[in-house]
Amino acid sequence: MSLIGKSVIRTDAVGKVTGKTPYPSDVNFEDQLWMKILFSARSHARIVSIDTSEALAYPGVIAVFTAVDVPQNSYGLIMPDQPVLCGPGSDQAGADIVRCYMDNVALVVAETEEIAAAARDLIKVEYEDLPAVYDPYEAMKDGAPQLHLNTPKNILCHYRIRKGDMGSAWQQADVVVEGEFHTAYQEHAFLQPEAGIGYIDDEGRVTVLVAGQWTHEDQEQIAHALSLPLEQVRVIYPAVGGAFGGREDMSVQIVLALAAYKLRRPVKIIWSREESIKYHHKRHPISIKAKWGARKDGKLVAMEAEVVGDAGGYAYTSTKVLGNTNMMVAGPYEIPNAHIDTYAVYTNNIPTGAFRGFGGPQGAFAAEGMMNRLADALGMDPVEVRRVNLLTDDKLAIVGTPMPKGVTIGPVVEKCAEESGYWQRKNDTFERLPVEQPADPAKRRGVGFACAFKNVGFSFGAPENCWGTIEIHGDATIEKVVVRHAAAEVGQGTHTVIMQMAAEAVGVPMEKVELIASDTAFTDNSGSVSASRMTFMAGNAIRGAAEIAVQKWKDEDRPAVGVYQYRPPKTTPYDPKTGRSEPNFAYGYVAQIVEVEVDIETGHVDLIRVISANDVGRAVNPQQVKGQIEGAVVQAQGYAIMENLISMEGRILNPYLSTYLIPTVYDIPKEVKSVILEYADPIGPWGARGMAEMPFLPLAPAIADAIHDATGIWIDRLPLTPDRVVKTLRENGIGVAFS
Amino acid sequence: MYPAKFDYYRANSVEEAVKLLAENSDAKLLAGGHSLIPAMKLRLTQPALLIDIGKIDSLKNIKANGSLEIGALATHARVAASADVKKWFPALANAASLIGDQQVRNFGTIGGNIAHADPASDPPTVLIAAGATIHVRGASGTRAIAAEDFFVDLFTTALEPGEVVTKIEIPNLSGRKSAYAKMSHPASRYAIVGVCAVLSMEGDTCKEARLVVGGAVAHATRLSEAEAVLKGKKLDAAALKAAADAAIAQVGDDAMGDITAPADYRRAMVGQYLQRAIQSALG
Ligand SMILES: Cc1cc2nc3c(=O)[nH]c(=O)nc-3n(C[C@H](O)[C@H](O)[C@H](O)COP(=O)(O)OP(=O)(O)OC[C@H]3O[C@@H](n4cnc5c(N)ncnc54)[C@H](O)[C@@H]3O)c2cc1C
Repeated sequence: MSLIGKSVIRTDAVGKVTGKTPYPSDVNFEDQLWMKILFSARSHARIVSIDTSEALAYPGVIAVFTAVDVPQNSYGLIMPDQPVLCGPGSDQAGADIVRCYMDNVALVVAETEEIAAAARDLIKVEYEDLPAVYDPYEAMKDGAPQLHLNTPKNILCHYRIRKGDMGSAWQQADVVVEGEFHTAYQEHAFLQPEAGIGYIDDEGRVTVLVAGQWTHEDQEQIAHALSLPLEQVRVIYPAVGGAFGGREDMSVQIVLALAAYKLRRPVKIIWSREESIKYHHKRHPISIKAKWGARKDGKLVAMEAEVVGDAGGYAYTSTKVLGNTNMMVAGPYEIPNAHIDTYAVYTNNIPTGAFRGFGGPQGAFAAEGMMNRLADALGMDPVEVRRVNLLTDDKLAIVGTPMPKGVTIGPVVEKCAEESGYWQRKNDTFERLPVEQPADPAKRRGVGFACAFKNVGFSFGAPENCWGTIEIHGDATIEKVVVRHAAAEVGQGTHTVIMQMAAEAVGVPMEKVELIASDTAFTDNSGSVSASRMTFMAGNAIRGAAEIAVQKWKDEDRPAVGVYQYRPPKTTPYDPKTGRSEPNFAYGYVAQIVEVEVDIETGHVDLIRVISANDVGRAVNPQQVKGQIEGAVVQAQGYAIMENLISMEGRILNPYLSTYLIPTVYDIPKEVKSVILEYADPIGPWGARGMAEMPFLPLAPAIADAIHDATGIWIDRLPLTPDRVVKTLRENGIGVAFS
Repeated sequence: MYPAKFDYYRANSVEEAVKLLAENSDAKLLAGGHSLIPAMKLRLTQPALLIDIGKIDSLKNIKANGSLEIGALATHARVAASADVKKWFPALANAASLIGDQQVRNFGTIGGNIAHADPASDPPTVLIAAGATIHVRGASGTRAIAAEDFFVDLFTTALEPGEVVTKIEIPNLSGRKSAYAKMSHPASRYAIVGVCAVLSMEGDTCKEARLVVGGAVAHATRLSEAEAVLKGKKLDAAALKAAADAAIAQVGDDAMGDITAPADYRRAMVGQYLQRAIQSALG
C-alpha cells in the first residue's frame, strides 16, 4: 500500500508530547557560560562611546564584546546591511549607528545569566541622537533622514508593473471602485522564544545549536561575520518550537558563534518572551491604494495600485516580500491593463520580514477587497464575478507571461462554494443563500468570500535547489534506508513527510527509514523551510536520490548511495520598467468562505465558521495538511481581528502575550472545514504542491467581506479590533453613540 | 522573575493570623495566591513574611440564613457552584463563574479578591450592587464595612493594617431582579467592563435600581445618575438609553484605557453593558 496519502503518526509526536524532545533552551554543557545582549536605547543615533569597564569588573563576568570584536561587522539574509554589533571602532562604514531599537550594542558573557544581566546594566553608552523617521511616506520625501548610505529617500526597492494601455482602459469600465487598505504588524508568537548554545565541536568547528529555518544559510552568515571558511562553521537544529518565517533572519546565531569562537567555551542564551517580541522582525504593515474597473458582465478591464511597505531599519527579506505583494495585489485574475508601483521603505521602526504568506496576505487584502466591492457595485454574486476573471493555464498573469501549468483556481473556487452550504449551484450559476439572523438585534451575521494563490518556492530568479541523500544499507535484503536532509522541523511535520516520501521512493516500510537531519556537518543544503517549498523540493530531491540509490542497489553497490540536487524550472526577476517576468515555477490555490457574527454594539467580530478549500496537489499526509489549514486560519484570524502591535516612535509598547493578544481557545472558530483538493501539480513530487501558507491569505479579506455582508460597511484597516469596528460602524450610523 | 526572599507561616485560626499580622509590620496574608504571587514575582510587592490562611476551614463556609454569608476563603469555583448563592443572588454566582479560567476559580478566593481590589475584578461590582457588608477582624476587634465604602481606589480598600476579611454578608434580595454583564479581556478574562444591576420592580415600573460599574474605572462605583434616571420609570428602550447616557456622563474622564480597550471605548461600553445587565435582569 502506498505511504503517500496516509496520515502516519508523526515521528516526533511521542517525544514532544512526553517532554523528552530537546529544544535549544534544553541543551546544556557542563562548563557553559551565559550571555545577555545590550540592545539599543535609541531608534536612530550615533554611538559615540561605549564604556564597559564597570561591567567587566563585575564579579563573574568573563567578557564583554562590542563592535571592535566582530571580524566582519555586517550581516543580512538578502544584503549585509546590518551591523552584528553597533558601535565605534569597527571598519564597517556606518556600523557606529543604531537604526532601530533591536540593534545589538554589546554582549556580556558571564558565569550565570543573572550576573550577565546585572553587568549588562552597568554598560554606559553615549549616544548622539540623529533625526528619525517612522512613517514610510515621510521617509520617501526629500530631506527625510536617510538611514543607509546608498539608499536615497530610503527606498530599498521599487517594482513596477505596466501592462496594456492604461490611457484608454478606464473608459472601457462600466464600474470603477477605489479603496485604501492598511494592514498591520504581526508578531510570529512561536511557542519557543529564541535560544541557543555556541561551542567548539570535537573537530574544532565553531558550532551553534539553535532554532532556525535554514541551517546552511545560518552557517554562511556566521562564516561571513567571523571571516571563517564555511567548513569551520557548523549549525545544528534540534527541535524548533515554531518559526512561521520569524526565524529566517538571524537572532542569536552570530553572537553565540562570536562568543564561543573568542572564548573557546560553550556560551548559552535564552531570550525572554519580551525580548523575542521586541527583537525579532515582524510582518510588514503595508498601505495599498487601489482602483479597479470592470465591465457590466463582471469582466475586469483595469487595475491600479500603489503599495508602500514599512521595511524598518534593515532590509531583511523586504525586497522579496514586497516583490510578492507587487504581484499578489492583482489577485489570481486576468487583467488586461495594469499599473502597479510597489515600494519597500527603510524607517527607524522594527525591521519587517518573512512571515507566513510573505507579502501575499497584504496583497490579497486589497485585491479581494476590490473584487468584493466590484461584486457589490455590479450587483453580482462574488463567486460569479470571480468565475469570469480567474486565471487558467491559457491566460496571462499580471506579469505578462503564462502561469506554470496546472492552474486550478477555477475549480477551487467552485468547490469552496459548493462545500460551504452557503451557495447553491443552479444551471451552472452560483447563488448565495440567505443566512439566518440571531434574535438579538445587536448581533448580525454575514458571510464573506475570498480566494488567493501562493507561490511555492523561491521566486524572481533566486537560485532554487534542494539536495537529498538516500543510502540503502543491507546485504541480500534492505536492512535500513538512511535519508540525509537539512530540512528544518519547525513543527510542521516535515521530517515525518520526508521519511514517508523516502520509504515510498525506495519501496520499503517507514520503520526501515532513518533520518539524519538539520546538521550542516552531515547534510547538504536544502534551502529554507519557507515559501511553502519543503515538501515540493525535498520530495523531488528524495525521488531523484532514491532513483540513483535503487539503481546502485540493483548494481549491487553496498551501501547504495544516491545523492541528488533537485532544480526546478528557472524563474526570472521583474523587468525594471514593465515588471514582465516568469516569477515562479509552481503555485497552490485556495478559496475561503467565512461566517461571522458582528456585535454592532461592542464591535466584537466572532468568527463562527470557516470553509477552506485548498488545492494541495497531493496530500502526502492529510492529517498534517489539515493541521496546516487550521493553524493558518487561526493565525490569520489573529492577524485580521486581534493582533495589535503598538509601535510608538519605533518602540514596541506591548511586548507581552498579556497585551499583544493572539487567539486562544475562547476565540477560534467553532468549525474549520478543510476541503482538501488534489489536482496534481505537473512537476510536484507525487503531484504535491506547497500549501502551508496559502490558507492564511484569503481569511482577512473574507472576514472584511462578511462584516460588510452583516452591516453594509467596508472596513479596510486591520486589525478589526472591537474599538475600531464599533467606531467605524458608528461613523456610518450603525450601533451606539461613541463619546 | 522569582520573588524576593520571604518567610512563610501557616496560620491555623483567624486569631493567630491577626496576632501574626500585628507582630510583623512587613507581613501579608496569603489566600489563593493568584494575585499576590504574581505581584511578588514581578517584585511589585516584597513582603518579608507570608501568613498562609488557606487552611482555616472556618473561613470557607457558605450559608444562607436570613442573610447569605460567604466566608472569605470560599473559592470562586465554590461561589459559582453554590446552590445557596445561585438561589439567593444569582448575579454573584454568574460573576464568579466568569472569573479567569478554571484554575483561577479553583484557587482564587472571594476574600482575597476584594482585599486585593483590582479595578478589573468582578466580585466588587456585584457586592456593591447587592448592598453587601464586609466583616473584618483586627487586633482591636471586629467591624463591618458596607461594600460601597470598602473599595477606595486602585488596589486600595478601607481595610486597616492588620485586619483580616472574615466573611461577606449579602442581605435578603428576594423579590429583586439581578444580573451581571461583563466584557472579558481576551487573555486574562478580567473585566474590561462589568456592570451589575439589582432592580426592585412593581409591574413594569422600577421602584429602585442599584447599578454598579467595574473594570472601566479605578474602583467599582455606583452609577447613581443612571439609578436616578430609572427610579419610577417603565424600563423601556428609551429609559434604558437615558440611563446609559447618564452612566456614560458620570464615568466621563474617569474611564481608564489601555491598548486592548482605550478609554473612549470603555466609556461607551459602560452604557452598553448597563443596558445588557438590565435586560438580562428583567429576563
Ligand atoms: C490569570 C488570572 C485571571 C484572573 N481573572 C480574574 C477575573 O476575570 N475576575 C476577577 O475578579 N479576578 C480575576 N483574577 C484574580 C483572582 O480572582 C484572584 O484569585 C483574586 O483576585 C485574589 O484572590 P486570592 O485568594 O488568590 O488572593 P491572594 O493572591 O492570596 O491575595 C491577594 C491579596 O489579598 C490579601 N488577602 C487575601 N486574603 C485576605 C483576607 N481574608 N483578608 C485580608 N486580606 C487578604 C493578600 O494579603 C494579598 O494582598 C484572575 C487572576 C489570574 C491569575
